[in-house]
Amino acid sequence: MDFGFSEEQEKLRQEVHDFYVKELPEDFDGHVSHLSKEIQSFYRELQKKHGEKGYQAPGWPKEIGGLGLGELEIGVVQEQEGYWLITWPDLIGIHICGPGIFLFGTEEQKNRYLPEIANGQKVWYELFTEPNAGTDEANQETRAEKDGDDYIINGQKIYITGQYKPDWFYCLARTADTIPKHRGITLFVFPIDTPGVTINPLPVMGGMLTNEIFLDNVRVSKENIVGQENRGFYHAMETLEFERSNTTGPAARRRELQEFVQFCKEEKRNGKPLIKDPQVRAKLAKMALDLEVFRLAAWRTAWRFGERERLGPLDWDLSGLFSRMTGESHYVWMMNLLGPYAQLKMGSKWAKLAGWVERRWQVTRSMHYAGTTEAIKIVLAGRVLGLPRIPAKFNPAIAQALKGKEVQIVVSEKKGS
Amino acid sequence: MDFELNKEQKMLQSSFHDFLDKECPEDIVRQMEDDEKGYLPELWHKIADLGWLGLIYPEQYGGTAGSIVDMAILYEEMGKYLFPSPHLSTVVLSGLPILYAGSEEQKADLLPKIAQGNLIVALALTEPQTSWDGKAWDPEGVTVSAVADGDDYVITGTKLFVYDAQAADLLLCVARTKEAPQGGITLFLVDATSTGISSTTLRTTASDRRESEVVFDAVRVPKSNIVGELNAGWEPLEKAMQIGRVLLSAQLVGGADTALKEALDYAKTRIQFDMPIGVHNWIQEYCIWLKADVESCRMLVYETAWMLDEGLPCETEVSMTKAQANEAIQDALWRAHQVLAGVGFCTQDGILPLITKRSLPAYHYLGDTDYHLERIAAQIEKWPPPEKPQGKPLGIFDTPEDLQVPAWDVWRDQTKGKLW
Repeated sequence: MDFGFSEEQEKLRQEVHDFYVKELPEDFDGHVSHLSKEIQSFYRELQKKHGEKGYQAPGWPKEIGGLGLGELEIGVVQEQEGYWLITWPDLIGIHICGPGIFLFGTEEQKNRYLPEIANGQKVWYELFTEPNAGTDEANQETRAEKDGDDYIINGQKIYITGQYKPDWFYCLARTADTIPKHRGITLFVFPIDTPGVTINPLPVMGGMLTNEIFLDNVRVSKENIVGQENRGFYHAMETLEFERSNTTGPAARRRELQEFVQFCKEEKRNGKPLIKDPQVRAKLAKMALDLEVFRLAAWRTAWRFGERERLGPLDWDLSGLFSRMTGESHYVWMMNLLGPYAQLKMGSKWAKLAGWVERRWQVTRSMHYAGTTEAIKIVLAGRVLGLPRIPAKFNPAIAQALKGKEVQIVVSEKKGS
Repeated sequence: MDFELNKEQKMLQSSFHDFLDKECPEDIVRQMEDDEKGYLPELWHKIADLGWLGLIYPEQYGGTAGSIVDMAILYEEMGKYLFPSPHLSTVVLSGLPILYAGSEEQKADLLPKIAQGNLIVALALTEPQTSWDGKAWDPEGVTVSAVADGDDYVITGTKLFVYDAQAADLLLCVARTKEAPQGGITLFLVDATSTGISSTTLRTTASDRRESEVVFDAVRVPKSNIVGELNAGWEPLEKAMQIGRVLLSAQLVGGADTALKEALDYAKTRIQFDMPIGVHNWIQEYCIWLKADVESCRMLVYETAWMLDEGLPCETEVSMTKAQANEAIQDALWRAHQVLAGVGFCTQDGILPLITKRSLPAYHYLGDTDYHLERIAAQIEKWPPPEKPQGKPLGIFDTPEDLQVPAWDVWRDQTKGKLW
């Protein structure tokens, strides 16, 4: 057992830390939303500088813009972005599309897309979720029909995370009608200016954006398939694990708690600093405790990735669960403590803590990327604890609900999939 | 970073496991509830032979110089089987203060005896009024007094919730020798059969006889029985208690792990309405959180044990570990009861009631949740303010949102500026 970091890891931590101290302006506020022109161009520039250092994709080989580092070192780099409350314009490219192309793409695709992701020059969107394919992601209704060497894609995607104008789409579409349904899905990459693409913004709680994207006879070459045809669902699932495991989350939450603790020291209620109130103290301590558990879980996942060969693919994803759990309770506690001031938004002169608690409280209502909390529980119950799944076809109430709908009922052939 | 036990530790773990699996069935636990001593001397000697009692002591005192992580492994396994023994009282809470502060003579005499299984010591610290006042684990909670009289000290007062007094040959009595807010605490080794000592076992949730009220009525103790310096007893005791907190947490983790296994087994095999009950989401929900409770505590236990081994400052982490073990394990056991229902509440049969009932005294022992949250808060108060970056100010982060222009024309056009 070893819960510490090596000398090299500490040195890396210091280097990344110094990058932010130097590059972030004195008046930087990571809580402010990313929608304005000025702020977007600031973050795009910062992302490029970060990419030049190799920090954007530290795990990739140097030839394609990474630093060739291991999982724990990646964790060290990502922990710093969390601490400085950075949200990258191209979060999806780094965490989803890049790893997917890295694992399943051709040499040509890797050379074409990965350096741009690592350099922080491009923005990617992940077109997975559909109106009828949420937690049940294999239920893809967007179709890609073969037409010579091309595919014609038609369908609708929804809740596609992204606040910056994207360059590339990373899209799941059905290429075969199969039983079970996840065996007929393929991954495509194509640029957003392909004819037939329409993007509608869907603002969500917390001042962030998701998008609704229509694909109307979008023509994509077969060269643009990532991995194998009809294996796209499996490729996507494997890369989604990257989205669930990172050390950014606990570090960001820790930074916020630090800001909140500082506030409790400075702010008085009835003439006494808030931090002297026993109830406030208990809550602060509980939050710090939860975050330590969250931090350990995130590091354990990072370590597990590094040890994959030794440990096998067991994905005991606690960190996802702790992230949601603490997300639920911590902001509520902070909001309750702020009393009626809690409702004031950023920009109000009366707002406490410049209004960021209110923003984060709203954001936690939009935290369903990489699957809802319930989706995480399905994985945990099935794959980790080995509990049985409900046999849908034996349940009369379910049969009734599905009556007349074209839904294939398949008794799962694989645990938890 | 390495979240796994190393090869030697895994071997150690399976040796603990195999022994307990064979020697400590549920019947023994139940049988010991009514036992006057509360443990089986025969088993105690067996584990002494296996080196469990000297695991943490240096070789010169009959030990094997194991680490605190090794001890945590042992405690987790003992917790899984609810092994009834005065191990924590004797080896850790009494033995370690002797190791840290005792004279060479005391160490050379007592520690090998403990390691060989020939001496049982109990820590007499907590008191009636100060336990009620929430100061049981602070130096100011010690009011039992020891007054010098010739070559002796005379100890007077009542200790309550003394673990394993019923089995002890010696008591390590924590007494006040000077009126002072911080110092003034001295540790005395007191023969349990001394004149003036009377003890009564308490009826507790655990249904065993392992806790007592111990009254010291002018008990004479020679000066040579002081462990460490006069008025300087708290520091070595606190150091031992910090380790004890982590190990007690490890023990709770072990118990909850057994409860988790029972719950999962039952969820998979109990058939109602023609289905195993584990298909139901609510049962799955209980099991998932049970697992999360156990794992969260386990990670904290081993992190903190490792920090203690490395000599890193870890006051916050120790308190986090005990607070989490208190809260999460109570939740975990509650969840196990929901899954096991009828088969989980019969006190004549099944291990879950035994686990649950033993978890309650452990919740309070060495500090309850409120106590440890306050200790964490005291550390949080010392946090520095968040770091500030040093780049040139840009003046773009305080524009009110309704005055901002959305960056992308698609959004601008389609939402008529109402993005917020």
